[in-house]
Amino acid sequence: MIAFEACGLVKTYGGRRALDGFTLRVAAGEIAGLAGRNGAGKTTFVEVVAGLVRPEAGRVLVGGVDALARPRAARALTGVCPQETALYPAATVAEHLRLFGALAGLRGAALRRAVDDIAERMDLTDIAGKPAGLLSGGQRKRTQAATALIAERPLLLLDEPTVGADPATRAQLLAVVADRAAAGAAIVYTTHYLPELAELGATVAVAQAGRIVARGTQDDLSLEQVNALLVGDGPGQEDHDGAVAA
Amino acid sequence: MALSLPDTSIRMTALVRHNATLMLREPGPVISRLVQPLVLITLMHPLYAAALAAEGAQAGTVQVVTGMLVMFSLLALSVVGTSIMTERSWRTWDRLRSTRARAAELLGAKAVPAFALLIALQAEVIGFGVAAFGLRVPDPGLLMLAVASWALALLGIGMALGAALRSQSELHVAYDIGGILFSALGGALIPSAELPGWARMIAPASPGYWAMGALRSALRGQATATLRDAAVLAAVAVAACALTAWRMSRSSPRSRLL
Repeated sequence: MIAFEACGLVKTYGGRRALDGFTLRVAAGEIAGLAGRNGAGKTTFVEVVAGLVRPEAGRVLVGGVDALARPRAARALTGVCPQETALYPAATVAEHLRLFGALAGLRGAALRRAVDDIAERMDLTDIAGKPAGLLSGGQRKRTQAATALIAERPLLLLDEPTVGADPATRAQLLAVVADRAAAGAAIVYTTHYLPELAELGATVAVAQAGRIVARGTQDDLSLEQVNALLVGDGPGQEDHDGAVAA
Repeated sequence: MALSLPDTSIRMTALVRHNATLMLREPGPVISRLVQPLVLITLMHPLYAAALAAEGAQAGTVQVVTGMLVMFSLLALSVVGTSIMTERSWRTWDRLRSTRARAAELLGAKAVPAFALLIALQAEVIGFGVAAFGLRVPDPGLLMLAVASWALALLGIGMALGAALRSQSELHVAYDIGGILFSALGGALIPSAELPGWARMIAPASPGYWAMGALRSALRGQATATLRDAAVLAAVAVAACALTAWRMSRSSPRSRLL
């Protein structure tokens, strides 16, 4: 069952097309690994789906909800972990989790339980009272990811969540992501680290110049082929559009 | 998805608590804005009382209390503007926007603690004037109207600056120079009637002018003049809040930050 669908997205910044017919469908329980060079349109795509940027053309459906016509309803179904760390230096880890849990609709005992659970899963319990401004890089990454993962949502957008993270942080995050997919969430996971996609058993989508140029399972599209596409000496777009299920 | 009122109130409660916590964790600017006017009022009261003695026993007290109130509440715009600017520079505003909270809820929750601070600052200065220098308040309701309308105008201006400017340094320039300029033109330092002719002519362009008018009229028990000046301040607040809402609901403001 398709849980998320983006069709023909177009977004232009100052004459440059950041998205140029970007199309991606993700099924419930699927982790779609979105790879691409810097500037390929991955983050703009995430911003459009998160409701931060309005495209000039295209359609986004989250759990059947038209995200462009009803952005708040779609946002209620979506958890977002942006690429750049966005935390309040003076607020503690626990305060971040409580805030984003409350904004996700959790309250009372359910909120407390969710805070405790995600803090434990992301190894944040011991630093729950520490202000974000005093956290290490890995702790900040885990805190940011935890704010996106605190509530179970049908769609998770994780934009390069492990950049700069240490191996332990990466392993913890990947484990939670895999669990959320197993529970039925559709997950869009952008990354430059292709081995992560193998570890997650993700399907793969390759973005180039604002569109998806290759899409399939890792059986259809090996990570070596993806890597070749990313470094520029792989088969051309036409070859892959014909060879790979998009 | 239609969300019920309790959902909205729960989000607002969480956001207001969060914003109040952030403000209280960095209390320096708040403390300095609360203490500075008391020091200056104490030191300058004799000067104003002597200079305006011909206009009545209360004239000097009214001038120094309302003048310092307007000047330091304008300078307190820094607290309001910074609370918006830091959301942008920390990238947290987009993080909040990607939740189910409405833009109005996000801005409203930022406004509540700031509004409370602006009211507290004015209440403190007026209370100090009453306790230390015998300032008379003939109609507390009228004075509350003047204080509330000025706080709303300040809130709107502060949030609009935080939303429209591109860096902390631009914000500092705006509220330091703007605060002094608007205070002086408004008659906070020298009574409007004593300003040079050109300054008197452009003084109505300063929100401080209408604030001084509303506060002075309220302290004289002049209802019509207070209502007129409070209405101007309310209009300034509405315009500034509309600008803020428009600016902050647009896509990725981060690209326009320095």
